[in-house]
Amino acid sequence: MHLILGTAGSFLAILCLAVLMECPKKHLPYAGIVGAVGGGVYLLSLDCEMGVVIASFLSALVIAFLSHTFARGLHAPVTIFLIPGILPTVPGAGMYRIIYYIMAGENGQSAYYFIQTLEIAGMIALAIFLVGTFFNVLKQIQMRRMK
Amino acid sequence: MDYKLLMNTAVLAGEVMLRSGAETYRVEETITRILETAQVETMETVVLTTGIFVTLDNPDMENISVIKRVESRGMNLNRIERVNAVSRRYCAGEMTLEEAYEELKTIKGRQYKRVIYNLATIGVCAGFAPLFGGSWREIAGAAAAGVMLALITTIGKSLHIHGFILNSFCAFGVALTAIILKNRFLTMNMDIVIISSIMPIVPGVAITYAIRDSLQGDYLAGAARSMEAFMTAAAIALGVGVGMAVTGVLRPGGGLFCI
Repeated sequence: MHLILGTAGSFLAILCLAVLMECPKKHLPYAGIVGAVGGGVYLLSLDCEMGVVIASFLSALVIAFLSHTFARGLHAPVTIFLIPGILPTVPGAGMYRIIYYIMAGENGQSAYYFIQTLEIAGMIALAIFLVGTFFNVLKQIQMRRMK
Repeated sequence: MDYKLLMNTAVLAGEVMLRSGAETYRVEETITRILETAQVETMETVVLTTGIFVTLDNPDMENISVIKRVESRGMNLNRIERVNAVSRRYCAGEMTLEEAYEELKTIKGRQYKRVIYNLATIGVCAGFAPLFGGSWREIAGAAAAGVMLALITTIGKSLHIHGFILNSFCAFGVALTAIILKNRFLTMNMDIVIISSIMPIVPGVAITYAIRDSLQGDYLAGAARSMEAFMTAAAIALGVGVGMAVTGVLRPGGGLFCI
């Protein structure tokens, strides 16, 4: 139940975030789909007893792959789908917690979230990088075939 | 070839992109691609998070250098897409330099009405609640905090309040709403409500892109972005902390951070 609710929630959240980020109107639903799938994969991985970091990595992989596919199909820059779509996974809450626990005087908690946020952000960046490289290689292979 | 117009077009395209939150390497790529159409001997582009430096030289001209300072940056995917489309069409020879320049000058303004932005803010807050493990109660709470957030953002933007202070005020409003709601409906998880309601202003993308820029070897942009991320996070945490402290003082028995 919470999986369906979570996926529907991420669709709504990402659709609205895409509006706040001025995503072009015709691409709005696609950004929402990317976000929903990303949120769903994230929750599913957590259900399978995987850690937050691995769950973020997996969901970022799926999100990046979908964004690149949409970007190629719709002739738009990848950023349009990637930036809103990646938001359910991205460690924004972690960034807030780092500073919040410093102010609350709980340095141990702050250090824990600092490491976790860096890990998650690093994993997401790595996933985006990997998928980007994959699509670059694919493009070059296609171009060589055309010649 | 009108080198001056070419230069202006390239720098304008770069400026619009940088202002709209595009990555520095992408801006460099676009400027280079536009300048390459002139096929000059020397051409160099450096884009930092806060400015653009371009120089162009050829035997048949005086060399031109342009420095452009970019002060404010916000996310605007629509403008990035439109600049991208113009540069692609110009480079493919589908439009002249003059047309490209005129087209770039028209890229401004916003797509939606203010009501839609406010509704979207509320939607973001409500939508994130189930993702953080909340149920209907938390969704309702987050939506209520979202109304507060939208209200403060609208007022703050119309008064041109500085970003750091505005973020603090937004977080303060969210925390206050969440605490008041918690005191009315005690079964609600306040932490989930606060976290999901600050999602529209939290710097998650900034920290991810900071690491991505660094992975790409763009250390300056990476450092600038991570600094931005920590500053925004500090503003938000400050707001939430003050909100909690204030209500703690007002309520008997509750001290700092002990609600």
